[in-house]
Amino acid sequence: MNRFVTAALAAVFSGMMAVSAIAADWTPPGPIKLMIAFRAGGGADTQARLIAEALASKLGWKFIPEQVTGKGGLNMAAALKDQPNDGTAIGMGVTETFGYNMAAAPNAGLKPSDFTGLTTTAGFQMGVVSLASKGWNSFDDVVAAAKGGEQLRFGVMSPRLADLAYLLGKAQGIDFNIVSVKGGKAVMDGVNAGDLDLGFMAGIQAKGVAAGDLVNLASALSTPLTQTPDAPTFADLGVEYDSDGYFVFVGPAGMPADARDALASAIAEVAADEASKAGGIIKKAFGGAATITGDELTALLEAGYSSAGQLMEVASQ
Amino acid sequence: MDTLDYIVLGIAAVFQGPELFSLFGLPVSVTLVMIVFGFLSGIVVGATPGLAGPVAMAIALPILISTFGYTPDALLPVMGFLIGVMKGATVGGAVPAILFNTPGTPDAFMTTLDGYPMTRKGQARKALRVAHFSSVSGDTFSDVVLIVCAPFLALLVEGYLDLPEKTALLILSLSFIAAVIGGSPAKGLISVGLGLLAVFIGTGEDFYPRLSFGTEELSRGFPIATAILGILIVSAVFKELEELWREKRASGVIAPVAETGDQRLRFADIRALFPYIARSSVIGTAIGALPGIGSTLAATLGYTVGRSRYEKTKTDGDTEFGKGAPEGVAATEAANSSVSGANLIPVLSLGIPGNAAAVFLILAAESIGGFNPGPSVFRFTSDTVNPELVIAFGLFTSMFIANALNWTVGGLFMRSMGVMIRVPKQILLPIVLLLTLTAIYVQETRMVAIWFTLGFGVVGYFMRSVGISPLPFVIAFILGGKLEETARQAFAATGGDPFFLFNHPIALVFMVLSAAVIVFTTRKSREPG
Repeated sequence: MNRFVTAALAAVFSGMMAVSAIAADWTPPGPIKLMIAFRAGGGADTQARLIAEALASKLGWKFIPEQVTGKGGLNMAAALKDQPNDGTAIGMGVTETFGYNMAAAPNAGLKPSDFTGLTTTAGFQMGVVSLASKGWNSFDDVVAAAKGGEQLRFGVMSPRLADLAYLLGKAQGIDFNIVSVKGGKAVMDGVNAGDLDLGFMAGIQAKGVAAGDLVNLASALSTPLTQTPDAPTFADLGVEYDSDGYFVFVGPAGMPADARDALASAIAEVAADEASKAGGIIKKAFGGAATITGDELTALLEAGYSSAGQLMEVASQ
Repeated sequence: MDTLDYIVLGIAAVFQGPELFSLFGLPVSVTLVMIVFGFLSGIVVGATPGLAGPVAMAIALPILISTFGYTPDALLPVMGFLIGVMKGATVGGAVPAILFNTPGTPDAFMTTLDGYPMTRKGQARKALRVAHFSSVSGDTFSDVVLIVCAPFLALLVEGYLDLPEKTALLILSLSFIAAVIGGSPAKGLISVGLGLLAVFIGTGEDFYPRLSFGTEELSRGFPIATAILGILIVSAVFKELEELWREKRASGVIAPVAETGDQRLRFADIRALFPYIARSSVIGTAIGALPGIGSTLAATLGYTVGRSRYEKTKTDGDTEFGKGAPEGVAATEAANSSVSGANLIPVLSLGIPGNAAAVFLILAAESIGGFNPGPSVFRFTSDTVNPELVIAFGLFTSMFIANALNWTVGGLFMRSMGVMIRVPKQILLPIVLLLTLTAIYVQETRMVAIWFTLGFGVVGYFMRSVGISPLPFVIAFILGGKLEETARQAFAATGGDPFFLFNHPIALVFMVLSAAVIVFTTRKSREPG
């Protein structure tokens, strides 16, 4: 047998192996630890748990959800980094964790390249929201109130959003008292309780806006909000940065391709299935799934990390 | 959706939940079965010397969660079980206090003062009956207050308390606990201080994990379960083991006491006890409704008030308080039991726990998800269903079911627990330790959590050895994160006013009270007697 034939056979054989691996449907070698970077009971936590539940009943994979909260997702990232990369440990956070937050905390020693991006599930519908009973119908009313001498409390749930709220005030010539709370649910609770006047909500406000209790005053995205397309975007309000971001599932770096693909496609499928409980709440809160996977996701995470410095620079002025 | 609809939905959620089996054609919901199980295990656990409700709740929680999962459907069965345990352990807790002079919880300490003398006089069963009747009366009263007041109190609190006031209220709670629970205010403050120090490790707003010495283990802070179980339970096991060792060196045998006289609880007895039960129930409920203040204080106050009233009204032939007066047992038990219902007012409306049992209810809600104790629970939305409010009414229903059990089978079951006296402590304690550490590992799944727990156990042991109550430590640990968060938010919300605690009238009143309660108790504890 000459070398060519050997090589050809080897190629065919390994090709078959690869095909059979996909055909046999990758199954996790054990229960999958799902580290959730959000507080229990919030919208993001519910989303993560419902996705795990759907995968468990659909594919028979066993999940062990675990709350690893704090430090804007960095605690989850740090805990996940050293876990086995065979698909038995994954985490759910937001793209901001791997961008701004990692860049803002160089001491933590974390980079997006320490992780394997699996898939995003939904993009934020980040609005600037207030109670309808405040009587503000547009962002101009907020500016007018602030200029009229009212001290306004602006709730934010991450340092990046605090920077953006500061830049928004600066662009409009007003000062906000920027109050940082834990999670979008806490912003909503604060706004509802009257502790905050307005704040960022990333999709959790959908029900309240639909019911007429809450108002989307502005879109903190580069695009208008699905629910309130008339609200001005940050660009319209003179801020050249935005809070575009996604909920994202990741694993430790160097996850084998079959595990990565199987996990990513399974999660993305559930997120996009509006008949499932998880897909249902994604549809309701975020206007539908946004699933970015593979190299595109890797590029997205890297870009967030490398561009974070600019926002910090501008906001510190 | 009005209030009545929510009540109906809440009751329906308990009775019509997932069906476990059917009895004579009637479906029996899982929640109902779990309440009964929880209640019976609560009595057993409460009646076991050295064990208390929180231990059972701690061990049961991870098992329950892995059985029922993380869906909102799991909330009522799991929390129903915990409520059952809480109620059962409250009545069961009087058993070891009365029979063996070993209180299972600090609350039951006052019960030993008159309960154990009654046992020695051969009136053990009567003492148990008095304890059961008072305990259940207090508990039921307190539940009624909870259900009637919680929603309004929650809204009232939200309406009047802004961020600076909330910060000041948390400080007041801590100062109150330090002053009244710790034996002396100074010791209480040390306990609170240590608790705050522990909770501030690895937490905070900044991306840098503070106080962690750059270690990965400390950077996520101490998990709440390791601190609570370590300080409350592991340290108690250490302390008990030490006492067993001492006892063995100078061992004495307790002679069995024969029962004498009428063991029944007559109507005349009830009439005589009623004023004590009523007064203590009000005291217990009022204290329970204050955020972050536990049942030990209620028991102490109930007993003290009962004693001063007894001194005034007793006739010459009556037994004195502390020598086996049924009134003493009644005053204490009604007070410490009536805390448990009212305690859920701050839990449900503010998310602030008042005692260890409430802590586990919050832990359960946080682990399962879908129910966040706090102001949002009591929003009576009219157009859409607020699922959290339905759960809240489901919890209230569970409490009444547990109360009904308490009135019916509770007393009988409680008195049958006398057999517990036969389990030797040297066998019981290692089992408790093993169960606790297993419970921790199941929840945290990392070895370092075990070391944290043992470390907290050692800290708690030394605190107990020098007479510092571990309870303020635990409550400070639970409230510390909330205190920092609220204080930071209040600071930011007031536009960076460093004196936000003193520039708002209600906050100022709270701050003055915080200082006053320390000064007042310090003076009082210096007085002789």
